[in-house]
Amino acid sequence: MLKHLYDTDCVTWSPQGKLFQVEYAMEAVKQGSICLGLKSNEYVVLCSLKRQPSELAGYQEKQFKIDDHMAIAIAGLTADARVLCKYMRTECLEYKYTYESHHPVGRLVFKVAEKSQHKTQSGAKRPYGVGLLVAGIDPNGVHLFETCPSGNYYEYKCQAIGSRSQAARTYFESWFHLFEKSTLEQLILHGLSALKKAIMEDEELNERNVEVGILGKNQKFIHLNAQELKDYIVKLETFNANTQIQQE
Amino acid sequence: MIFNSEISGQQQHTTSPVVTGGSVIALVYNGGVIVGTDTLCSYGSMATFKNVQKIAQISKNTIYASSGEFSDFQQVVKELAKIDRSALQYDDGVHPSPKDYGNFLARLSYKKRCKINPLYLQNVIAGFHNGERYLGLVDIYGTYLESNFITTGFASYFCKAIIANYWNENCTLDQAKQVIRECFKVLFCRDCRAHDVIQLAYVDAQGAHIEEPERVETKWDFNGFKSRANEKLHTQ
Repeated sequence: MLKHLYDTDCVTWSPQGKLFQVEYAMEAVKQGSICLGLKSNEYVVLCSLKRQPSELAGYQEKQFKIDDHMAIAIAGLTADARVLCKYMRTECLEYKYTYESHHPVGRLVFKVAEKSQHKTQSGAKRPYGVGLLVAGIDPNGVHLFETCPSGNYYEYKCQAIGSRSQAARTYFESWFHLFEKSTLEQLILHGLSALKKAIMEDEELNERNVEVGILGKNQKFIHLNAQELKDYIVKLETFNANTQIQQE
Repeated sequence: MIFNSEISGQQQHTTSPVVTGGSVIALVYNGGVIVGTDTLCSYGSMATFKNVQKIAQISKNTIYASSGEFSDFQQVVKELAKIDRSALQYDDGVHPSPKDYGNFLARLSYKKRCKINPLYLQNVIAGFHNGERYLGLVDIYGTYLESNFITTGFASYFCKAIIANYWNENCTLDQAKQVIRECFKVLFCRDCRAHDVIQLAYVDAQGAHIEEPERVETKWDFNGFKSRANEKLHTQ
């Protein structure tokens, strides 16, 4: 393929109408470790698999609180994610300073998307190499958005991005019709079940490499602590997705 | 809001107002909030503009009125309307609540106060949002208060007793209207810059309603007045 003729920078179209640099940036997202999100009428749950660069290192955090009512999970270049995270936090702070209320979620995602698009239309810039799953609550309801390096954003009932995320998405396709009315615990167990589908054979979920964040209409964003994670991972063994109850 | 004088470095500061509006009285009632103003803009002590609407509708469920420099009132209306319009570009159906406007105006007023170039106004934002009544006061310094009743200007001195005796936060709309009419009656008698034509506006679950101006009832046919006007008194 003559891809290499048209992929030098963002300001060159390919004959097929593609911007290859943007597509390559989306590849960076696919290389990141998996993170997923799912929502019910009242809660949004973010689950991610944390990577450990080496035995000696800690695990890379993938979920960041933006404000009491909003959080993100990242897949891709962590450094780029930090830039977007800082931007989102600053916007929320300024909105709160001016209006004394929470930044509407869709609007902030729109701003991030606008910022990302800007990087795809310049000869001197490169797109952000990170995809975000944005979980948020505002007067319009419970939200889960995905942003892309291309500057597109989409709202989802549930979504998984990153490495081997297709397996998690397949799980979601079978069970997402139940999520709307699920309780928080059921939602977390569904999320962890989907996460489990996406790990390699020799890997296992434990309280060190899993990160779960929850956000609700009356629940500010928090991470589950190590003990809670352990308990949920144990419950995972007997969780039946269809009936959403523990089975012996 | 950047002016040429700011760019050239010769900042003009508002030191005293030119065209001013009178008191604003705002109350909550059982179904919403109501605001009353008179319809006069004074040029110093001259009652120049006698049919001015000084209550503006900012959004579907928010209204705004203020006393003080009228040109500042007009500018604030533009600024608040700009915020409401900017919500349209995000296509998410989320509009600022009355409280959001109140806080924004407080930040704006405080910023201008810090530059010793204030918006020469006492502002009242009134609205009804998600079943909750909202009344906010922002003064010339950027002080922000939320309350069940708000008075600006001379009404703060003359009308608080009337409000205290005849109003409570769960009264009906008609009762609240009567209280405000009584207040403006007293203001017309006592405040030299007041007018006897007033305008009421209320916000309830259905939205904002601005009524037509009305004249408050005043009584001038006292015997004392009539007898004083009798020429015979003044002839020896």
